Amino acid sequence: MLQLGPIGFVLPWLLLALPLLPAIWWLLRVTPPAPRRQVFPALRLLRDLPVPEQTPSRTPWWLLLLRLTAAALIVLGLARPVWGPGAGTAGDGPLLLVIDDGWASAPDWPARAAAAQAALDTASREGRRAALLTTAPTDTPESTRPSALMPAEELRARVTALRPKSWAPDRAAALAGFQSWRQNNSGALSTLWLADGLEHQAEGDGSTPLAEALAAAGPLTLARTENRATRLLLPPRAEPDRLLVSLRQTPAPAGGQATVLARTGDGRALASTTIDLPAGATAGEAALELPLEIRNQVVRLDLDEDESAGAAVLLDERFRRRPVGLVGPAQSGTDTPLIGALYYLERSLSPTAELRSGSIEQLLARQLSVLVLADRPVSEGREREALDRWVREGGTLVRFAGPRLAEHPDSLLPVRLRAGERQLGGSLSWEQPQHMAPFPDSSPFAGLVPPAEVTVSTQVLAEPDPRLSERSWARLADGTPLVTAETRGAGRIVLFHVTANAEWSNLPLSGLFPDMLRRLVALSSGVAGAEGSAPLAPVENMDGFGRLGPAPGGVAAIAANAFAETKPGPRHPPGWYGVPGEGGERRALNLSASLPAPRPMAAPPAGTGFQAIGGVPAERDLGPWLLGAALLLLALDLLLSLGQRGLIGRPARLALLALALLAPLGSARAQQAGDLPLVTRIGYVVTDDPSADDVVRQGLAGLSEYVNRRTAAALGEPAAVKPGQDDLSVLPLLYWAILPEAQAPDPAAVAALNDYMRNGGIILFDTRDEGSGEGFSPGAREALQRVTRSLAIPPLAPVTAEHVLTRSFYLLQDLPGRFAGGQVWVSREEDRANDSVSPVIIGGHDWAGAWAVDARGSNPFAAIPGGTRQRTLAYRFGVNLVMYALTGNYKGDQVHVPAILERLGN
Amino acid sequence: MAETGTAPRATALRAEALGARLPPLVVAAERVAATVMQGVHGRRRAGQGDAFWQFRPYTPGDALNRLDWRQSAKSDRLFVRETEWEAAQSVALWRDAGETMRWSSGNLPQKGERAELLLLALASLLLRGGERVRLLGLRRAFAGRGVLPSLAEALERHAPPPADESLPRHARAVLFSDFLQPLEETRAAVGALSARGVTGHLVQVLDPAEETLPYTGRIRFEALTAGEAPLLLPRVEGVRALYAEKLAAHRAGLSTIAGAAGWRFTTHRTDAPPEAALLALWQALSPG
Repeated sequence: MLQLGPIGFVLPWLLLALPLLPAIWWLLRVTPPAPRRQVFPALRLLRDLPVPEQTPSRTPWWLLLLRLTAAALIVLGLARPVWGPGAGTAGDGPLLLVIDDGWASAPDWPARAAAAQAALDTASREGRRAALLTTAPTDTPESTRPSALMPAEELRARVTALRPKSWAPDRAAALAGFQSWRQNNSGALSTLWLADGLEHQAEGDGSTPLAEALAAAGPLTLARTENRATRLLLPPRAEPDRLLVSLRQTPAPAGGQATVLARTGDGRALASTTIDLPAGATAGEAALELPLEIRNQVVRLDLDEDESAGAAVLLDERFRRRPVGLVGPAQSGTDTPLIGALYYLERSLSPTAELRSGSIEQLLARQLSVLVLADRPVSEGREREALDRWVREGGTLVRFAGPRLAEHPDSLLPVRLRAGERQLGGSLSWEQPQHMAPFPDSSPFAGLVPPAEVTVSTQVLAEPDPRLSERSWARLADGTPLVTAETRGAGRIVLFHVTANAEWSNLPLSGLFPDMLRRLVALSSGVAGAEGSAPLAPVENMDGFGRLGPAPGGVAAIAANAFAETKPGPRHPPGWYGVPGEGGERRALNLSASLPAPRPMAAPPAGTGFQAIGGVPAERDLGPWLLGAALLLLALDLLLSLGQRGLIGRPARLALLALALLAPLGSARAQQAGDLPLVTRIGYVVTDDPSADDVVRQGLAGLSEYVNRRTAAALGEPAAVKPGQDDLSVLPLLYWAILPEAQAPDPAAVAALNDYMRNGGIILFDTRDEGSGEGFSPGAREALQRVTRSLAIPPLAPVTAEHVLTRSFYLLQDLPGRFAGGQVWVSREEDRANDSVSPVIIGGHDWAGAWAVDARGSNPFAAIPGGTRQRTLAYRFGVNLVMYALTGNYKGDQVHVPAILERLGN
Repeated sequence: MAETGTAPRATALRAEALGARLPPLVVAAERVAATVMQGVHGRRRAGQGDAFWQFRPYTPGDALNRLDWRQSAKSDRLFVRETEWEAAQSVALWRDAGETMRWSSGNLPQKGERAELLLLALASLLLRGGERVRLLGLRRAFAGRGVLPSLAEALERHAPPPADESLPRHARAVLFSDFLQPLEETRAAVGALSARGVTGHLVQVLDPAEETLPYTGRIRFEALTAGEAPLLLPRVEGVRALYAEKLAAHRAGLSTIAGAAGWRFTTHRTDAPPEAALLALWQALSPG
C-alpha cells in the first residue's frame, strides 16, 4: 500500500503506467482526425475550387488534454486509490477493538461505528485478525470478555450489530475479562480503544487500570471525540408554576446552548426551553414554564441535539397530576351546587389534579399527595394516628374551617384555635368585612394578587403565638391570619381559616381561590403513602439512544419499595415500570438520577496514540469514481470528435453538451423559477423569529400537502412574504402568526396589506393564545392590537355555525388547531364586492402548529387537549380555509339546497 | 449492356430480374403520363378520341367513304367526318446511363431511375399521340400503344452514346442526363445532332445534394467513375458558395449550348415530382 497524502493506493505498481502518457500524447499528436468519406458525382465541379481556410490537421491541444486526462484517470482508477485509508494501528499483532458502548457513546454512535469499521477495513486489508471487547455489561455472564480472535471481515457483522446500551460501561469488569482472556491469548496485540471519554466510577479512577493493561499488551490507540461535551439531563424539580430542568456536562472549551424539549406521550413537543452554557461550564439550569394543565401532559424531557439515554428523562406521577383526596363534613349534600362544602373545591382542582373521594381510611390506603378536609374534625384514635403518620411521611393536609371545626378543634392544625368563630360585619358586629392583605414574600402564594372584592366576614381565630406570624401564609387587612401552615415531618398541614364554600367569605368565588389551591397541590412533594413490595414489571425500556421500546428479554421486575434505590443496568434498563395495561400506575426509572456528574476520564498512559472520532471522513474507495470520470471524459471526447468530423450537427452537439453539463444545475434553476407565480401558494408573513417562521412554514407545507391529497386544488410550496416588499397579489391566503413582540407594520406594509384585503385577499391572524392554549403566548393579543391598529379591519363577529368557513369543504362544528375552544372572528358585514368573503380571520388556535409536518413526516407539535381527532379536525379546517380562499362563498349557496330539493321533489 | 454473347444463363437471369422490374416502371410511367394527359385534354379538346377532329357539311367532291352516316342520319344534311391532321414525327429519346447517374443522396430516387421514368412517361405520351418513338442508337422505331413494355425492355438493354446515324432529318430529340461531363462533350453531342437538322431538348436531372452541397466538416469526396482521384476538403461549408457559383456557371454554359443549336434546356431535381417536369416537356414538344 502506497500512501500519498490522504490517498492510498492498493495496487501502486499500476501507477508505473503513468510514464506511458507522453507516448499516448505523441501518438495522438501525429494523427489528424480521420476525414469522413462521401461519394459525390459532381466532384468535377468541386475539383478546382480555391480552399478559403485550412483547419489544422493536428489534434487541438484541448482535445489532447482531454484524452490524456482520461488516460491518466483510468490508470489512477485501476490502481485502486483509497481516500483517507484507516490510519492502521501500530504494531502488527492481532487487532483488539475495545468499544465503550454505554449511554455516553450514543450521541455520536454512527461516527464511532464508522471508526470501528474503518479499523476493521484496515485490519482486513493487512490480513490481521481481530477481537472485540465491549465495556458495557449485559446480563449474560462474561459479557465484558473479549471475543475470540477471528478474521476482521467476520467481526464486521458483529460491530454493525452493536448498539449502545442505556447504562454505563463497567471498566473494572472489562479489565477482569481482558485479563482472563489474556491467559489464553498472550501474543502481541495492537489495541484501538473507542472511548466515550467519561469516567464512569463515582469516585476514583476506573479507566487507567484498563488503559495500562491494554498498553502492556501492545501499542494502544485511543480514539476519542474531540471538543464535544457529554451531557446528562437530570430529573427536573417541580415548582408550583414551573419545572426546573438542569443538566451536567463535561467541560466544553466553547460555550453553547442546550435545548430541552418537553414531550407528550406520543413524542410530540409541547414546549422547549434553552439552557445557556458558558465556556467551561459543567452545569446549567433553566425553567420550563408551563400552565399546570399542560405540564401534566409532559411525559418526557429530551435534550434536543443529543440522542442518548442520559439526555432523556421520563416524568412519572411524581411530576404530574397529583392525586387529591376530598373529604367533607360527615353529612350528605357536600357537593350541592353553590352551597355544598366541596362544590368549589372540586371545580377549582379538577382541571389540575386527580380528585378522589371516600372515607379518610379508604383514601389513605392508596397513594395520595394532598388530602383536603373541609370543616371535618378528625376524631381521636385510629383516624388521627393514620393521618398524622401520613403527614409525617410527606402528605399535605389542607383543612378548611367551619362551624364544626370551630367547635371541635383537634391537634392536626397548624395553630391552636380559639373556640368559636369571629364574625365581622354581622348584625352583632361593629366591624366591616375584612379585605385580604398582600401575601408575604415568604408565603408560597407570593406573586398572586388578592382581588379587592374578596372579603371575609367570618373566620376562626388563632391563639396568639410567637410563631404565628411565620406560620401565616395569608392575612387579612387587619393582620389576623387567614391561611396558616406548619411543617410536620416530611409533610405539612395547611389551614384555611374560612369555609370552602361562600358561607364565611367570598374567597371561593374569586379567581384567586383556584390559583391558591393549585399552588398548594404543586407544592406537595408528590405522592406519598403506602408502597408495598409488589413487583413493578418492565413496560417500556429505553435503548442507548433514549428511544423507548418493548422491554427486551432478561429485564427483571423491580419491587415497588426498592424502586428508589434501583440503579439502571442490564437487569433494569431505564424506562417505564409498573402495571401493564391502560390506567395502571407506571413509574419511571431514569438513568440520570443515579449517575454521578460526568467528568472526563484520566489521561491514558504515556505512549498512547490518539485518533479523533468523527470529522475524519470514512475510508472511501475512489477507484469507481475515477473510472467513471474517465468514462465521462471519453464520452465527451467521442462527442467532440464526431462534431469535428461533421458527423453531428452543431445544434445537436450543443444540446448534448448542455444536457451533460447542465443536468446537475437543473434543480437550482427550478428553484429560481419557483419565484414565478406559476402555482397557487399560501403565503405567510415573515416575523422576527426564524424558528416561529419555520413552524408556520412547516404547517403550511403540511396543509398544502393535505389539501393536494384530499381535494382537487394543487398548492405549491408556501411562500414567505414581507408585506410592502413582496407582491401579495398572487397569494389567495396570507397566514400571519402574531408573536408577543410583534410591532406595527410600516406604512408601506400597511398600504400593501389594505390593498390586498380590499382586492379579495384573506389574512388569517393567529395569536396562538386562545382556548386550551391560553397562556402559551402571553402578550400576543396586545401585539395583535398593535399590528392591526392601522389596518382596515372590518367590524368583526364570531364565526357562526352557518358561516361558509364551517362548510366550504367539510362540515365542521368548531375550528380547532393545536388548541381548541377559543373563538374565531370574521368580518361581520358581508361585502358584496368580494363575494361576501371576509378579508380577515382572527383566532388563536395555532393552526400552523397543528398542521406542521417535520422532515420525518410526523407532526412535531402535540395538540391540546389532544387526540388524533383534533388534528384531523385542524386539517379539515385548513382545507375549508383554503377552499374559502379559493372559491369564496360558492358553498354559501348550500342554504338554498333544501328549497331546491323540495322543488325537485315536486 | 448488350451482353447477349455471354453466358445465356446469366442473360436469362438478368431478363427475369428485368421482367420483374419492368411492369412497375411501365406502370409508373403510364401513371405519370396519364396525369399529364388529363391535364392537357382538359384545356385543349372537347371530346374523346385521337383521330376525330370535326364534322363538316358534305361538299361535292368529297369521297363517299368519308361520310359519317350516323351523323348524317340525324338530320337532312350529309356530314363528313374530318379527322385531325396527323403527321407522325419521330422523337428520339436518350438517357444517360453513366456511373454518375447511379447515385442519390438520402432516400431520394437515383438520378438514373428518375431519368428512365421521365423518358418512359414521355414515350407513353408520345405513343398515345401517335408519334413514333425511337431510342437514340437503336434503329428500331416504336409506334402504337402497346409497345411501351418492349420500349422499356429495349431501354434497359441499351446504353449507347447520344449519337445516331440513322435518325431521320428534322426529327426531335430529348436527352436526359446530369450533364456533369465537361461542356465540350455535351457541345459535341448536341452539335452532331443539330447538324442533322434535329431539334431537341436537354433535361438536366440533378440530385438536390449536388445543387446545395449540404455537407460540413472535413470530408474526403470520392468519385463514382473509376480511376478518378478522391478529393479531400477540410471544411466543406467554406466552399459551398463557390460551388453554387460554379454550378450556375456550368448550367449557363449548357443553356448556351442548347440555345446555339435552337434547343431548349430545362432542369429537374429528383426531390421534385416528375409530373411537373413531364408537363413542361410535353408542352414544349407539342406543336402549337
